[in-house]
Amino acid sequence: MKPYWDVNVLTGTKTAKIVEDPVQWASIIKKSIRPLYILGPDTVDRNIGDKLFLEYCLDVAKAGNLPICATAHVRKKMSEMGVETDSAYDIIEIINHLKDPEWQGVRKEGNHDLIMFTGVRCDLAERGLATLKHFAPHLKTMALCRFSHPNADFALPVIRKDTKWQEYFDGLVANLIN
Amino acid sequence: MKFNVEVGPQFEGERVRKDDLYIEFGGPKVGAKVELATIKKMDEVEHGKITIIGPDIGDLAEGGSYPLGVQVEVAGPELDKDMEPVFERRIHQYCNYIEGFMHSAQRNDVWIRISKDAVKKGLTSLEEVGKVLVYLYPSELPIIEKVAVTFITDSKKVEEFLPSALTVYKERDERVKGLTEEVVDEFYGCTLCQSFAPTHVCIITPERVSLCGAVNWFDGRAASKIDPYGPQFVVEKGELLDANTTIYSKVNEVVAEKSMGASSVFCLHSVFGNPHTSCGCFESIAFYIPEVDGVGILTRDFSGESVNGSPFSTMAGELSGGKQVEGYIGMGVEYLRSPKFLKGDGGLRRVVWMPKVVKERMKDSISPEMFDKIATEEHAKNIDELTEFLNKVKHPVMSGEFS
Amino acid sequence: MSKNKEETLKIIKGEDAWEPVGPTPLPDITDLRNWSMRLLKTYKPFYAPFCDLCCNCTYGKCDLTAGKKGACGIDIATHQARWVLMQCCMGLSAHGAHGRHLIDYLINKHGKDYKIDLGLQVDVEAPIIRTVMGLKPEILGDLRTVIEYVERGLIHLVSSTHTGQEGHYLDFENKSLHAGMLDLLAMEAADIAQIAGYNYPTSIADTPLVELGWGAIDKTKPVILAIGHNAAPINATIDYLQNNNLEDKVEVCGICCTAHDVTRRSDRAKVVGHLARQLFFIRCGIADVIITDEQCVRTDVPEEATRAGASLIATSDKICYGLEDVTEKEIDEIVKMITEEKKQVLILDPDKAGEVAARVAIAIAPGRKKEFINEKTAMKLAKECNGCNLCSEACPNLLSVGKSVKEFADGEVDKLSETFKLCFTCGKCEQKCPKNIPIIKIMQAVATKETYKMRSGRGPIHDVEIRQVGSPIVLGTIPGIVAFVGCSNYPKGDKEIAEMMDEFARRKYIVVASGCAAMAAGMVKDKEGKTIWEKYPPGFEAGGVLNVGSCVANSHIAGAAIKVANIFAKLPGRANYECIADYILNRVGACGVAWGAYSQKALAIGTGFNRWGVPVVLGPHSAKYKRLYLSRKEEDDWNIMDGRTEKMMDEYVEPAPEHLAIVIESKERAIVSIAKYCIRRNDTPVGRQIKLNHYIALYKKYMGEGFPDDLHLFIRKPTDVPMFFKREVMDYLKKIGWKPRQQVGLPTLINTYPTKANIADIK
Ligand code: SF4
Ligand code: SF4
Ligand code: SF4
Ligand code: SF4
Repeated sequence: MKPYWDVNVLTGTKTAKIVEDPVQWASIIKKSIRPLYILGPDTVDRNIGDKLFLEYCLDVAKAGNLPICATAHVRKKMSEMGVETDSAYDIIEIINHLKDPEWQGVRKEGNHDLIMFTGVRCDLAERGLATLKHFAPHLKTMALCRFSHPNADFALPVIRKDTKWQEYFDGLVANLIN
Repeated sequence: MKFNVEVGPQFEGERVRKDDLYIEFGGPKVGAKVELATIKKMDEVEHGKITIIGPDIGDLAEGGSYPLGVQVEVAGPELDKDMEPVFERRIHQYCNYIEGFMHSAQRNDVWIRISKDAVKKGLTSLEEVGKVLVYLYPSELPIIEKVAVTFITDSKKVEEFLPSALTVYKERDERVKGLTEEVVDEFYGCTLCQSFAPTHVCIITPERVSLCGAVNWFDGRAASKIDPYGPQFVVEKGELLDANTTIYSKVNEVVAEKSMGASSVFCLHSVFGNPHTSCGCFESIAFYIPEVDGVGILTRDFSGESVNGSPFSTMAGELSGGKQVEGYIGMGVEYLRSPKFLKGDGGLRRVVWMPKVVKERMKDSISPEMFDKIATEEHAKNIDELTEFLNKVKHPVMSGEFS
Repeated sequence: MSKNKEETLKIIKGEDAWEPVGPTPLPDITDLRNWSMRLLKTYKPFYAPFCDLCCNCTYGKCDLTAGKKGACGIDIATHQARWVLMQCCMGLSAHGAHGRHLIDYLINKHGKDYKIDLGLQVDVEAPIIRTVMGLKPEILGDLRTVIEYVERGLIHLVSSTHTGQEGHYLDFENKSLHAGMLDLLAMEAADIAQIAGYNYPTSIADTPLVELGWGAIDKTKPVILAIGHNAAPINATIDYLQNNNLEDKVEVCGICCTAHDVTRRSDRAKVVGHLARQLFFIRCGIADVIITDEQCVRTDVPEEATRAGASLIATSDKICYGLEDVTEKEIDEIVKMITEEKKQVLILDPDKAGEVAARVAIAIAPGRKKEFINEKTAMKLAKECNGCNLCSEACPNLLSVGKSVKEFADGEVDKLSETFKLCFTCGKCEQKCPKNIPIIKIMQAVATKETYKMRSGRGPIHDVEIRQVGSPIVLGTIPGIVAFVGCSNYPKGDKEIAEMMDEFARRKYIVVASGCAAMAAGMVKDKEGKTIWEKYPPGFEAGGVLNVGSCVANSHIAGAAIKVANIFAKLPGRANYECIADYILNRVGACGVAWGAYSQKALAIGTGFNRWGVPVVLGPHSAKYKRLYLSRKEEDDWNIMDGRTEKMMDEYVEPAPEHLAIVIESKERAIVSIAKYCIRRNDTPVGRQIKLNHYIALYKKYMGEGFPDDLHLFIRKPTDVPMFFKREVMDYLKKIGWKPRQQVGLPTLINTYPTKANIADIK
């Protein structure tokens, strides 16, 4: 399936598995041992409907008890909202750490086995996912992004409508809690 | 610390122009203005106390010029009276860290301008300025343990305060005048510039300001107390080995140690023999001109060629880097005023050329007799013209009677 | 392949004893390899493949995904490194060939013995050439020697990208670093040549403010537009107009670097804007004649010129467009071919091309109608939009252009005008539109017609300026030199460049700009209506904002860092690359910012800066360069030697500068990081205080309350703590268990790896 942005069209053979069902998405997260949720600046620069994108993401993080890496300037909004981030590496830096299987992770408990991206600028996220695809065989990646990402292990289909996107979040949160 | 306006080094040098001006304190339009820092006993200062006597910024009509007295009292067990002027200069420095707050001049000439923007942002009380001072003094200078600040904006009260301040200034000036290399026990050294001139050592005496112009004997004294392991340190004098060019035994030892053996004899007041080293950030250069057996002075901001044909950059290239280069020294411009200025070489009587602006600036320190004998770029652009000029005015170097 | 020593000395005029010849004159690929490897040990290559396949040879395609190897045995990392080298070589050859053309042209004009004189304020005329090669160029002929050396290096570099050559990514990276080094060298030669040959301003700081913006172009006059990087032809136009008293009657303007260089020649020439405004401006139809020279010129200019009714003269052997070469024909005849037969032509003689352009413009302009389309017409065109958003999907800057067009059709102007500010006017959206809506044309209606100012390029930093700021830079009291360079592939428009420059200028960093970045910075006004070029002083001083000039003038930025070492600190520079680079890495707080870098040239330049020890911050698009140089501050090797005692300082963990090439996603984050990347291990306590003061203040502003999580790594002693945050920071340090450590006297990497460099030089 073609991702929304033409620049992200895959030139390669290994492409993401599209996960249409939030139940399934939630179960992949739940099966992981040390997941990490990476939040990019789109989450603070955009709304979905009338609610800040970030709020949806924080709901997911909370429901799944996911440690957060707040990239770019996301930390500022989070701290204004009274939420502490586990780490504030920028996107390239966190990927650079994740490549190393010996790295101890943002909670110093060992490297992460599952990485989820939301709100990272789509062309940059795709490059980062490519790095992890090639150089971090020890972990799996998920792109929780409505524009779809072929270089991730798991990606969403393109979600054009805000309401559908909200529904996906709601479904995900509900299933992560259960 | 949270303030209504930003505070930081980026505001140093920021100007408040006429159109941006909200009000000013002191300055040429106001008679009653004064600023004083004094050292008190520990129990005489209530730390953090800020007192405002008279109307505050917010009470004063926009566009006006008002009287001002600033009194900073500091205390700490290790403070000594000689540090007062150093602390007083900090009022200027710290005030200028405040956004939209411009401090210039000092003592009873002080002049403060506050911008409209700053007032709009909430700088409506001198209390905030006081808080900045109270925060910064002990932060930068941990030997200060207590600070209290008083602002007086009531004209009568400023007038009342003024005479006592003038007395303090006078005492300080007397002390400075009386301070010679002979009467003090110690000099100070600075090796800050070793980070780019690894063998350079500055020796700072009451009669020799550092060659960057930024550190005088008092500063050196204060700095060496504040951080004994910092770049400025005490240098004992030892024995005076040569009274003319001014060589002290312990100075030689310190220089040898700190320059890792690169220099072991250091004349404090001569360009010949073993002159003071030059790092690279000197304000000016004293250079020997063999053709006339005299010394020229060239400053960094002089953009043309000096009388010997070299622009500052070329000449500076010759002597910088922490080496002793005979015939040249880098120096702070104020060194020209020192009674010991190139004592070993004949002092100002040996000087034959300097840029016009420098000569004007030094007018009160050059004897009237010599003043007309020193050439500037207006008199001489090259050695031939210089020789001609010196002959005409009968400069002492022409007859060798400079010492 | 040992070099012939005599031969080397002959080339660099070894008998000319301005400084003793250092350890590495005319280095070839392996001479500085150990320095590269030492850098790469700390700053490891990071790869982000753009494509998982390789199709370099007929064994391919080979799938190199995650551990698979190609038929030739190459793996994905090495293949990426090879790609990067190829791209660096493209960049290098673009600058090198540009320099070669300019120098040959100027030698033809003035003779090879024509003296290079950069004015009273510049003694060290060519810091890069002196340091890399060991040559002190005195005449134009010497600059040709430089290009010859570059050409020789290039052939070996390109050769190693052939299938079955180099087999390790680190060695490819050494070669890329080498290519980058040669690139800066070629650029320095090119810019010196044009300064000397064209009498461009030098040795002055306050060069004229020239007009900027398409709104500044006087449509009522004949308009000649130059696009590209080699100003020889357009400068000839200026000469022709001046000699014939026509300067008032004709508008000369430029896009991209050629605009910089023509305004250095004549301050009446104008700058339309940067690279990203190319298609937009051509389609406005305002240019009567378009002169293309070389690099970053759109491939479809002939077609677009025809559509816009403009004449086209191509002037470079790099861009011939399939056009007839009329170089040998008489000028009258060529003018006739263009004006009457409506032909587009190739003229390889710059002087001839320049004159033809002027004459054609004067002849055809009166018959042409030149207007931006108005809002009403534009809205009518937009009405066809069906809201399919196919255009948006195609946008390389991820813009919701479809939505903007749709809203515009409904009478809403703001969104489209915002979109235009972020748009590269690349035209990809239009190609996708099933309704054939002329999106870029519609944008004319919402594009500002404002006039701006830009300071014209000033060339090298003066020796005296270096002397004045040398000490505050090395001590750290001027917190850093931040250089905004490169192309206009900005994620969020020109505004961010102006904002970033303003943030650092007001904090008293030295802010330098060049190329498209200098133009972008000028396209924004503050509330008093001033551009950054009018707001700050033009000198190389605290709070100064400088325009060095076109891309090739980037060399002067590296040159300034070298001069700090060579002039100010008196480090011997001649053929002494490693010592000078080591000095810059450890002591000169400079950081490059290429926020919109797109070209292979920009990659080569950035890599060249990296080899000198200058970190470079890239915008998000630049992840597509596929390679960065990153450290991991907590884990990597930060050991350093104290040059004074020659002892290793093992406990001395200070990640400064933290990365050599990094992509940062947002402007906010970039600002905070740039402040950090200006920290150097050599900072004195006062300097460190000032640098940390800005780092902390910016962190609080853009990242929220609290302190950066790596703050403790940069605090050696309590005297490093900025006084404005003293108490809070000391409390924080106590909480995290920080311990004071020693400051290294003369931090250096020399002798921590096998090197011919002499540690005595740094003492
Ligand atoms: S020139 Fe100034 S800063 Fe440098 S060593 Fe001398 S006193 Fe210290
Ligand atoms: S160069 Fe190597 S990897 Fe590329 S196509 Fe040829 S054999 Fe395959
Ligand atoms: S022209 Fe502008 S809007 Fe259209 S695809 Fe290119 S960048 Fe995007
Ligand atoms: S592709 Fe054309 S029709 Fe579709 S949204 Fe874009 S402008 Fe409208």
